[in-house]
Amino acid sequence: MNGKIIAFFDKMQKLDRRYIYLMVALSIIIPLVIPFNSPTFTSETTENIYRKIDSFAGDPTKAVLLSFSHDASTMPELFPMEVSVLRHCFERNVRIFTICWSPAAAPLMEHAINTAKENYDVTSGVDYVNFGYKPNSLFLPIVLGMGEDISEAIDTDSQGRKIKNLDIMKEIKNYDDMNLVIDFSGGGAALSWVTYARAKFGVNVAAGITAVMVADYYPYLQTGQLIGMFRGLKGAAEYEKMVDVFASYETDEYPNGRPFSKEVIKNVKVPITKSTIIYIEDGVEFDTGIPLNYKYKVARIGMNAQSVAHIMIIVFIILGNIGFFLTRKKDNL
Amino acid sequence: MKRQIPLIIVITLGFMFVAHSFIPHTISQDFLTWFQDWMKAISPFAVVLGIMSLFMVHGKKISYKAPNWQYSIVTLAGLIFTALTGFIWGTQAGTPYMWIFKNIQMPMSSTMFALLAFYIASAAYKAFRARSPEATVLLVAAIIVMLGQVPLGTMISKWIPISSKWILNVPNLASKRAIMIGVGLGMTATSLKILLGIERTYLGGGD
Repeated sequence: MNGKIIAFFDKMQKLDRRYIYLMVALSIIIPLVIPFNSPTFTSETTENIYRKIDSFAGDPTKAVLLSFSHDASTMPELFPMEVSVLRHCFERNVRIFTICWSPAAAPLMEHAINTAKENYDVTSGVDYVNFGYKPNSLFLPIVLGMGEDISEAIDTDSQGRKIKNLDIMKEIKNYDDMNLVIDFSGGGAALSWVTYARAKFGVNVAAGITAVMVADYYPYLQTGQLIGMFRGLKGAAEYEKMVDVFASYETDEYPNGRPFSKEVIKNVKVPITKSTIIYIEDGVEFDTGIPLNYKYKVARIGMNAQSVAHIMIIVFIILGNIGFFLTRKKDNL
Repeated sequence: MKRQIPLIIVITLGFMFVAHSFIPHTISQDFLTWFQDWMKAISPFAVVLGIMSLFMVHGKKISYKAPNWQYSIVTLAGLIFTALTGFIWGTQAGTPYMWIFKNIQMPMSSTMFALLAFYIASAAYKAFRARSPEATVLLVAAIIVMLGQVPLGTMISKWIPISSKWILNVPNLASKRAIMIGVGLGMTATSLKILLGIERTYLGGGD
């Protein structure tokens, strides 16, 4: 019996990597094609961003700047974050600016805005402005210049309109008003905002990053130089859920969304295969019948695939190690 | 002179920027505005230089029929065609430029990055072994952090996300900070050497 087990693991050790590739592909494709409901637990790093943006709700003297520092390669993780933040701002009437530093990011930015604004009656130049693509070589002068006067640092928006003539700029001048910058990147771009905009002008900086970059950003979270962070696709899924549970929540009691509450987010389930909100009380789930107004649930579907893929990799590691120890034992005999 | 003039420019401007960071005076602010205007004027030349360089490198490859020269044709054709669609029809939603971006560039870039998942899974299976106590610590930490990143971790035990957070917040943070301090000190030392004209390798050439 032992000999058979050792022989099996010996064979497994030499398994052709193409079988592994096939299993990974299936573990990702099946959850994407057949969505299922899995819980989304929110974390403080994401909640902090939500609460900061929510504190600007309905205030024409406050705005958020979204900096797109990535290309399409990291889009599956970062794009749902961007759309969720845009949706939150449109829901809660928060002024929003967008900018990017690479030509490859400009169409992504347009795509994110167009995707998010589908369900909202928002106008460019009034509710939001897309500054468009600015060459990376101008990063420093623009970032520092916006600390003094945004319309001086950036002349025109993506449509060629003079920034200073836009309605949105009437009550927004510099970082004192545009007091939150969220940088989306697959690298260390957010840290440049910390170095220049945060250090010199005290602007609040948050980062939307790919999961592989998360460990690099922790020192900045601990010091408070970053007020929050989207930790890969998980962060995007958490934000999607918060927008559904709070910002786009509509009842007679809360006609324009309800305020953030840790208790509520803990006890509410937002199933991706149903169209109503599920509430949990004393461990028992009941359907509230309150309709979900969302269309966007890409990150939560993606999280299903990520969950299965993570489990698959963990199983691979465990199997690989069992095989390693058994074959080593056999070699020592 | 070829080396002295760039050296003088670097040293002078370097010290002026150091002064600007520490002296909040009107002259200092004016200097920054002046610099910003210069930057705006200079940066378009970098784009021209980049395109010229791309044409020269790939043009040479095509004319000499160097290995894989066919790919150079694709590169240049892609550059010209994409740029032309942008110049002629603009870059707004619904234009051919956006069509190219959405249907060619986006899936290709995503595919390249997605390959990472396959390599990681394969590497985890083939090479991630508890060969030593250090490797075992790394392996256990990786499993906890991976489980902490998905809902299943919290469903198994509330201690998994707590442990994952601890790993990221304590050992990871301490080592990252140590590396950052080291890099920071190194950068300061190198910057000082450049400002004082001791470090000149960035000028190229020999000594």
